[in-house]
Amino acid sequence: MTDQNAVDVAELTKTFGGIHAVEKVSLKVPIGQRRALLGPNGAGKTTLFNCITGSMRPSAGRIFLFGKDVTEMPEHHRTAMGIGRTYQITNVFLKLSVIENVLLAVQGTTRQKWIPYRSVESFPESLARATEELERVGLANRASVSVRYLSYGERRQLELALALASRPRVLLLDEPASGLSPAERQRIAGIIAQLPRHITLILIEHDMSVALGLADQIAVLHRGRVILEGTPDEIRANPEVREVYLGKV
Amino acid sequence: MNWALQALNGISLGALLFLLASGFTLIFGLARVVNMAHGAFYLLGGYFGLTILRLTGSFWLALLAGGVGIIVVNYFIERYLLRGIGENHLAQVLLTVGLVYVIADIALSIWGGDSLSIPPPAFARGPIDLPGGIVYPRYRFLLIVFGVFIGILLWLLYKKTQIGAIVRAGVDDREMVNAMGINIDRLFALVFALAAFLAGMSGVAGGAFLALYPGAEWEILVLALVVVIVGGLGSLEGAMAGSLIVGLVDAYGRWLLPQFSHFVVFAPMAILLLLRPRGLFGREA
Amino acid sequence: MGRRGWLVLGITVALALLAPQVLGTFWISLVIQVLVFGLLALSVDLLLGHTGIFPLGHAAFFALAAYTTAILQVRYAQPTLLAAPAGLGAAVILALVYGLAVRTSGVYFILVTMAMGHIVWGAAVTWASFTNGDNGIGNVPFPALGSLAIRNLSSYYYLVLAVVLACALAYRKLTRSPFGLTLRGIRESGSRMHALGYNVGAHRYAAFVLSGSLAGLAGVLYIYFNRFVSPPTASLHVSVEAALMVIVGGTGTVIGPFIGSAIILVLRNYVSAYLVNWMTIMGVVFIATVLWAPDGVLGLMRRLRAQLRMSPARSESPMVVAGEGKDTP
Repeated sequence: MTDQNAVDVAELTKTFGGIHAVEKVSLKVPIGQRRALLGPNGAGKTTLFNCITGSMRPSAGRIFLFGKDVTEMPEHHRTAMGIGRTYQITNVFLKLSVIENVLLAVQGTTRQKWIPYRSVESFPESLARATEELERVGLANRASVSVRYLSYGERRQLELALALASRPRVLLLDEPASGLSPAERQRIAGIIAQLPRHITLILIEHDMSVALGLADQIAVLHRGRVILEGTPDEIRANPEVREVYLGKV
Repeated sequence: MNWALQALNGISLGALLFLLASGFTLIFGLARVVNMAHGAFYLLGGYFGLTILRLTGSFWLALLAGGVGIIVVNYFIERYLLRGIGENHLAQVLLTVGLVYVIADIALSIWGGDSLSIPPPAFARGPIDLPGGIVYPRYRFLLIVFGVFIGILLWLLYKKTQIGAIVRAGVDDREMVNAMGINIDRLFALVFALAAFLAGMSGVAGGAFLALYPGAEWEILVLALVVVIVGGLGSLEGAMAGSLIVGLVDAYGRWLLPQFSHFVVFAPMAILLLLRPRGLFGREA
Repeated sequence: MGRRGWLVLGITVALALLAPQVLGTFWISLVIQVLVFGLLALSVDLLLGHTGIFPLGHAAFFALAAYTTAILQVRYAQPTLLAAPAGLGAAVILALVYGLAVRTSGVYFILVTMAMGHIVWGAAVTWASFTNGDNGIGNVPFPALGSLAIRNLSSYYYLVLAVVLACALAYRKLTRSPFGLTLRGIRESGSRMHALGYNVGAHRYAAFVLSGSLAGLAGVLYIYFNRFVSPPTASLHVSVEAALMVIVGGTGTVIGPFIGSAIILVLRNYVSAYLVNWMTIMGVVFIATVLWAPDGVLGLMRRLRAQLRMSPARSESPMVVAGEGKDTP
């Protein structure tokens, strides 16, 4: 393993009109690390994610994936390089079935997506991959159900399956536990904790306990800037973090 | 000399197109409604005006009748038909296209299939002598003046009044305007009425130098659509710029490349498509 | 499609094969039109029902193919085996160029395709030296395919039936393939697909070219049936009617466009025979369909079946604004 970072964000800035959503953020996430991004709403965490995955272009700064400068690279190429992502607001394909959703995610980084003959079911490797991911998140028994009949919690599980289906090397999870009941929260946290260690994980989480339990390193954002970085213990002990969350800053 | 002449031709057509396209683009910008019946409004408004002119002899009443008549027609359409479909553009397009069929067919029954024209008012007939020795039809020149006047009026309304500010805010973010407690329905009704008035009135204005005939509702619509594609949907400046460009390209195109006259006007559209799909002043593609 | 579906298809095909023996020229002519325009509607549905974009200019491909074939056969006395592929080829080339339109989305796409269709119409009218302008091009002979000579409408009917069936089967394969699934994903959410690694623009372009080519094929079938082509064939009206057929029948299926085609054509043939104001009726059909049956006939049937079973049936139509898009807890 080289000492190359999985994700390297350098002086990233993103402004909307006059608002600095992200301001000169620098982040180095080594391969295999589990990094959590904490911060109150509006701190710029999701915007940062959007810049890393490529769905938004930064106003300034550069982004590197495994040492390669991807700042100009379109989103779908970055996915092919190995980024997977979940969304804070569930972003699954409602009118398709659960298995179709995952199949889309599976074939997204393969040549298969261009094949215009042979039915989708006749590709056993993809089907096996998709089923594997569904089993991992616990949705295997709902495979043929149309997603709109899924409960919110099940949709969050599917969201995770979509991100994992392309076998990403870097996984960006945006509040995977948001809106879930405590039991569902535990389950999602469990699934995430059991992910293979070679996958680099960057986690946005509002729920401190989930974040502190999963992360190796934490970065706290406030108003678009990184104000603090440290291990879970260091962060837990830091009074400034509490102020940030309670709005005393 | 001819260049100037063709420029005037282009600008006068542009003025007419602006009257029609401005309403279309504002309705889309504010209410996210695509109303393909705008061309039919033009034709019907022109027919209304023609009838009133025959009855009263007054061109001004005809203009008014065209505008007001369409306000009424549009009111019923908006209230009873469009309101049910919300923001679904596909449904809007199909529904309003259906309306064009109905309106055009009914108009055919009432006014017949012959090409009719609206005689311009006495003061606007004949030629006018312009600087540079150009002799130009007075009516078309006055149409340019009228178009510029309406353009300035709309611009002032849009940029300098409170109502205009609210409309602009609504174009940017409708939810916010709603949340601010402003009655968005009444705002919509106002903008719809204004757009309808302009469309109907433009039919009367246009009927005096282009003619009114079955099929005109589609031809003028296509031109108006190119205007908003080039200028950008939802933008008043876009409608102004687009109208000018389309008018000029059409005039010069007909003069320099008569065998391509029918579609030279699409060239700016193609260029925009390649370079800037959302139009010159448009916001989202 | 279950066993019952294949049975129904089998019976329909059998009936279709027997038709010329039983029906007169008027009806055979009508059935051919239903098939040809159904194919045009099918091409529109590839974009509308599967990719989620609404083209309003497909008459361009239809008419261009018809004109090309007609001109080659009539003016240059070329054989069918050259003229027909050339007609299709012209449509393919136009689709490759017009595919630029996928750079726009939403309303702009609708407007741009409308304008593109208008360009072809304008060319048909203005280039009179080439297209004969408003007079159109007539006296197109029946197709001559080597040893197979078509001499009457009935024989042509069988050819059309064969081609349309082949297209329908290929279309069905396409929609069930990974490419078809990709298109449906794009229809649901282009941005999510992007994030999943898809070059959405490239897929849309491919779908557009396929769609335009299929419309061109329908145009070739058309010219040998009608044996006359003129500018109205390229008009907005044809494009709009094709879209209406899709909506009336029901999007997202193979049979829907053909059902819609049958309904619209039968309506038009009957209504125009009795009423002068049949355009008004057509307009009302548009409006009524949009307001009350956005799912089309198939949707109505689905809802009926669901009601009988007393279970909910949700709309699949792109015309119903889905209240659900993104999810909230």
